[in-house]
Amino acid sequence: MSEPDSAAPPSRRFPAGRLVLAELRRFVLIFLLASLGIFLALEAMPEDPVSLRVKNPDPARIAEIRESLGLNDPWLVRYVRGMGDFLTLDWGDSLITGRTVAAEVGRFLPATLELAIPGILLGTFLGISIVLLAHATGWRWLLQPVRGLAALGLTVPIFWIGLLLILCFSVWLGWFPVGGRFDFAYPAPHGTGFLLIDSILQGDPEAFRITVRHLALPVFTLALYPAAVVAGTLEARLGESFLQRLVLALQARGYSPLRIWGKHVLRLVSGPVATVIGTQAGALLGGAVLTETVYSWPGMGRMLVDGVLNRDVFVIQHGLLLVVVMALMVITLADFLSRRLDHQLNQMGREDNA
Amino acid sequence: MLRLRFKYWDWWVLVLLVFCFVGILWTPHNPMAQDFRDAALEGPRAANWLGIDGLGRLWRGAGNTVLLAASSMGLSLLLSSLLVSVEQAGPSWCGRFIRMGVGIWVALPVVFIGLLLLVFLRPSPGALVLAVGLGNMAFAFRQLRVYWIGVRNALYVRSSEVLGSHGWQLFRWAIWPNLKPDLLALSRLLFAMSALELSGLAFLGLIGDPDFAELGSILKQNQAYLYQAPFLVVLPGAVLSMVLLSVHLSRFHR
Repeated sequence: MSEPDSAAPPSRRFPAGRLVLAELRRFVLIFLLASLGIFLALEAMPEDPVSLRVKNPDPARIAEIRESLGLNDPWLVRYVRGMGDFLTLDWGDSLITGRTVAAEVGRFLPATLELAIPGILLGTFLGISIVLLAHATGWRWLLQPVRGLAALGLTVPIFWIGLLLILCFSVWLGWFPVGGRFDFAYPAPHGTGFLLIDSILQGDPEAFRITVRHLALPVFTLALYPAAVVAGTLEARLGESFLQRLVLALQARGYSPLRIWGKHVLRLVSGPVATVIGTQAGALLGGAVLTETVYSWPGMGRMLVDGVLNRDVFVIQHGLLLVVVMALMVITLADFLSRRLDHQLNQMGREDNA
Repeated sequence: MLRLRFKYWDWWVLVLLVFCFVGILWTPHNPMAQDFRDAALEGPRAANWLGIDGLGRLWRGAGNTVLLAASSMGLSLLLSSLLVSVEQAGPSWCGRFIRMGVGIWVALPVVFIGLLLLVFLRPSPGALVLAVGLGNMAFAFRQLRVYWIGVRNALYVRSSEVLGSHGWQLFRWAIWPNLKPDLLALSRLLFAMSALELSGLAFLGLIGDPDFAELGSILKQNQAYLYQAPFLVVLPGAVLSMVLLSVHLSRFHR
């Protein structure tokens, strides 16, 4: 591929340096906008968060607390200090629990990541494998559930699917627990906060089994939406004429279906798949928050919702910003990957049209 | 003027939506005044066809969900139309600024926007409508802009211009009839997105009053009765999915 790359007009190339700079600029812009939005929202909060937390609202005591928290400084000072605090991980204390917000995030974030990462990976794997298998084997009936899944994303709420799965597999069949992250009766493994990793590190197969049983239903629920989106995008992309001609050409060369679909076609369609995961990052995040609520999963979603409802200023300020940063990281990574990978696709398309 | 050719399925959708709206005005039992202790989780019976939490609350919940989703959809369409108008008719710097802003806005999850609004607004159905309407605005803007540019640059619109049609006349007779089907398709999509997002936010407990009959909040409340009365969890989701599937399959042909 190196020769066609160098022959491509400069405007169509994606130099890594320029790409990183463009992504970085967008990242910083969105981060600044989101942080400003959160700051203004907190400024517009009708209640005084300090008064809400003090049992006997003595004005002198309230003024003292406000002064100690720096809430009486000019808004620009507070905004810049807030940004500095976020970047240095000095996130203050939760007004509800009294623990530091960083400690709270350290407790809840691994749970969210342990749910979200396998969910997105499983969904992507399911979406890709079903569509490629259907095309490679000629079993077109496999595409029927894919079309059903596409409609599912716009017609069935993810939290209801979660509840139905609980009803079926936990309440009626008793195969999986109704919710939570681990059994109360068994000592949970400690270390990184990721129970799967901790149980492996401690060499505790029972803890690993319990963790997997708790993860199974939430991960499957969360995987359905990415699976639907990835499968739909892939199916649409595979209908493109130059890809069909490429498959015909590879078949004529005598390549096996596994090599054609599992290697060549998969490499060509991985760009659009990365793009669609990036564009759906927000929806995936929303899905993760809802899945956490359905399965009583002690994650960031629950922490943020409780923080907002209880007017927990520092949890809102830094927790929400962290969520934006995480979503942005997924979008940026997916965008970067898709541009690099889609470059091959663009090249193939140009060669095909030539 | 919106001239539509209804097919059987479209009539079904229309009847379903009207039925849902009736639930806001009238239900056989007052959903806020049922005696839950006396009729604790008895399930469907003659007096309460869909169980104690059933018909009245479910019917009103469906009506409220449809009304709130339609309001969010309307808000998204209104704001995106305004943005497209300014972007197309305004100075180029203004257009660039709007496109850049939308590019940033579209990256923010609706849940984030909802939580952000609820920092300074009291949790209420209105706040959720605002959150979802604003959250879907960027998506609606992008779709609407593509449709507008496509129709505006079409040959028949250019021909009408050459023949002397301008302003409102051009919009009414050349642009609008061709923009209408795309706008209806976008409305259908926005309605489904809004209903799912609204119910999701209500399920998270962000609707304020926990007794407000909305399908998401009903599901949240009924999750506690999963063992004793599974139909309380099955029915609200089934109603929401039926409404959304019906709207999804409708076409409202011209």
